[in-house]
Amino acid sequence: MHSFKATYINELDKMYRKKKVVVLVLLTLLAIAIGQLTVSGVRFQFGIRASGSAQFPVLVLSVLINTLLPLFTVLMGIDVFSGEFSNNTMKISLLRPVSRLNLFTAKVAAIGSFILASLILVMVFSTLTGIIFNSSERTFMFIGKIFIAYVASSLPILVFTLLIIVLSNIFKSGTSVFFLSILLFLGLKVLSIIYPQFSNLLILPSFNWYNLFLAQNIDIIKILNKFFIMAGYGMILFTVGYYLFDKKDV
Amino acid sequence: MEKVLEIDKVTKIYKNQRGIKDISLDIYKGDVFGFLGPNGAGKTSAMKIITGLMKPDKGDVRIFGYSVQNEYEKAMAKVGAIVETAESYPYLTAYENLKLAARYYKIDAKSRIDEVLELTGISKYKNEKAEKFSLGMKQRLGIAAALLSEPDLVILDEPLNGLDVNGMVDMRNIIKKLAEEKQTTFFISSHLIHDIELTCNRVGIIYDGKLLKVDSMDDVHRDFSSLENYFLSEVNTNA
Repeated sequence: MHSFKATYINELDKMYRKKKVVVLVLLTLLAIAIGQLTVSGVRFQFGIRASGSAQFPVLVLSVLINTLLPLFTVLMGIDVFSGEFSNNTMKISLLRPVSRLNLFTAKVAAIGSFILASLILVMVFSTLTGIIFNSSERTFMFIGKIFIAYVASSLPILVFTLLIIVLSNIFKSGTSVFFLSILLFLGLKVLSIIYPQFSNLLILPSFNWYNLFLAQNIDIIKILNKFFIMAGYGMILFTVGYYLFDKKDV
Repeated sequence: MEKVLEIDKVTKIYKNQRGIKDISLDIYKGDVFGFLGPNGAGKTSAMKIITGLMKPDKGDVRIFGYSVQNEYEKAMAKVGAIVETAESYPYLTAYENLKLAARYYKIDAKSRIDEVLELTGISKYKNEKAEKFSLGMKQRLGIAAALLSEPDLVILDEPLNGLDVNGMVDMRNIIKKLAEEKQTTFFISSHLIHDIELTCNRVGIIYDGKLLKVDSMDDVHRDFSSLENYFLSEVNTNA
């Protein structure tokens, strides 16, 4: 457990010191600002209320979860695995008293924490923006649901990141993994449009599963169904990723 | 004598048919063992297998009695190592690099980091990012990281790479001092015969993936005029 903890803290430390995290925060704030300007613009120009304070964080989530957040978690996944292998820095951790299972798990846990922290950051800023610019009493009643929706969104992104981690352990070049990830993302999107009947089984449509928590009447069966499919994918991808990581000669 | 490192019939053959074949070797407490061989002889492959970076096709390695393949954390608990190249995170300072390494051990990180930075002569650069370091400074930082936990076994693959003459002398003195004062065991690979001769008390010759012979430096000096002659004699006889 000590080696897991040390690796987990080290991974978070390394992520924090990389400029990517700062860029993500700035881009997120920019996206929220642009979103708010658009909402205000529509309201003043056409007199239409595009989004209330309660809907604004959901609107931001629906945009970011399909764009910036997966992009940055993919970059983080590539950095933590392919990047370290190609820069030879993976050796630094591998030569310490930490088993490959603990090292792999700690790295995945750190990426998971990064995803969760990013989502919470977006939630806090978008909710505050919503309250300041489009205030209504419903915001505070809705805040619990917004929180659950944001936290729940971390699961499909983590599963998608595990898929990228598998690729990062197959291909040595981070650039190859990045372009393959984009192709995979687009391919899965197209598949879910062409075959909507199978969308339940695909990872990407699950990016929008947070909507299930925002409904008036929450459908527990549907939530559990989605959850178990994603958890299944997660476990399979984690196992495959670890297998490849463990077998890898450095 | 207490066995620190046991290499038991280790074989690893690459696709190009090169690699190491059936290597067996025991290293004892207090040994400063020189693993001598030309470039491409299999030194780094052996080092990678010993430290678990690579898995052997056959055989096993035990450190302090623990199998590297099955009980890695226990095996590496008292080991410091540099394999192939001394790596550091370029976007972190020397101090931050060592701080990451210190988290794996129950040590007083701050004072120990200052100690190893002083020992390796890079304390005045402790707040500079590693990306600005020369090859020699990176090597010193790598050695500082290997010595950080006050390990009982230090595995160094070509530790003098990139060091200038002063650096080489400093490193040799550090190794000798730790071996004498703290009974630290060293396993050092090098293709530099002179350095192995000046630093080590036991030597093993590796050539074309095979371990040709292991002797104490005293025996080598008793039977041959120099380590170079011993090396050439063994290679010509066995290869």
